[in-house]
Amino acid sequence: MGLSKEAFENQVMDLLGRLHGVARRLTGNEADAEDLVAETVTKAWRCLNTLASEDAFKAWIFRILNNTFISDLRRASARPRLESIESEDESEDEAMFSIFEQMHQPFLLWFSTPEQEFVDKLLREDLDKALGSLPDHYRVVVILSDLEEFSYSEIAETLAIPVGTVRSRLARARSALQKVLWAQAQEYGLKGSPKQGCHGSTTDAP
Amino acid sequence: MTEKEIDCEQALKQILEYVDHELEDGNQAAMEHHLHTCQSCFSRMEFERRLKDKVGALREEKVSSNVTNRIKGLLDSF
Ligand SMILES: [Zn+2]
Repeated sequence: MGLSKEAFENQVMDLLGRLHGVARRLTGNEADAEDLVAETVTKAWRCLNTLASEDAFKAWIFRILNNTFISDLRRASARPRLESIESEDESEDEAMFSIFEQMHQPFLLWFSTPEQEFVDKLLREDLDKALGSLPDHYRVVVILSDLEEFSYSEIAETLAIPVGTVRSRLARARSALQKVLWAQAQEYGLKGSPKQGCHGSTTDAP
Repeated sequence: MTEKEIDCEQALKQILEYVDHELEDGNQAAMEHHLHTCQSCFSRMEFERRLKDKVGALREEKVSSNVTNRIKGLLDSF
């Protein structure tokens, strides 16, 4: 791919905020995020010939970022999270969790939507914490889809996984995120605005 | 009319794809039709959409001048 140095620089500078934002969320700290971005840009420049077309730049450079993050993790093998990034989530059969199912009250439908209130009241720092607590392979799909607004096929390309895996991994990741948010809320005692037990305590099996 | 009808179970399976704007035309139309007629699935979709938006709002684009300068310097060195 014959991308000029100037075009490369423009693309990098245009995407710098997003690259840095994703790096910050992957690494969890500023110093590592900066290093990751710098390493990514260096690698991207060195393997510019692997860029198929200028349109593919975004997915291509985020793929390099993600791969660099993974190989850095591998190098720092003391990191316990190493396992999780490549774990086969297809083999995990953890039940899906939904805050909606926990809170939605069909009989109050027309004048009360506690589950929507729950979302509206979520604090940024709680969401931040919940997202940060997800295993890497879940966190990355949520970041790419919800924060970076990548399409499924762009995520597939970025992570080198099939689109079907993107779909199922996103569903699991969001379920995991909701589980954490729900646990946080219960910890705060903010669980639901309506009286508990008014319509079924959802934790008890029949 | 040959519009596909879907039930709640099918709708629920596609709700995240709908929220992510990933459904193909035919499925999209069937989903919209279902959401217009089913309050329960509509609420579920609305919930997922709000949560997605809320998560999306975590996005930060601001970069310190340190980072910008470091990357600019790096690019100049190539
Ligand atoms: Zn329905």
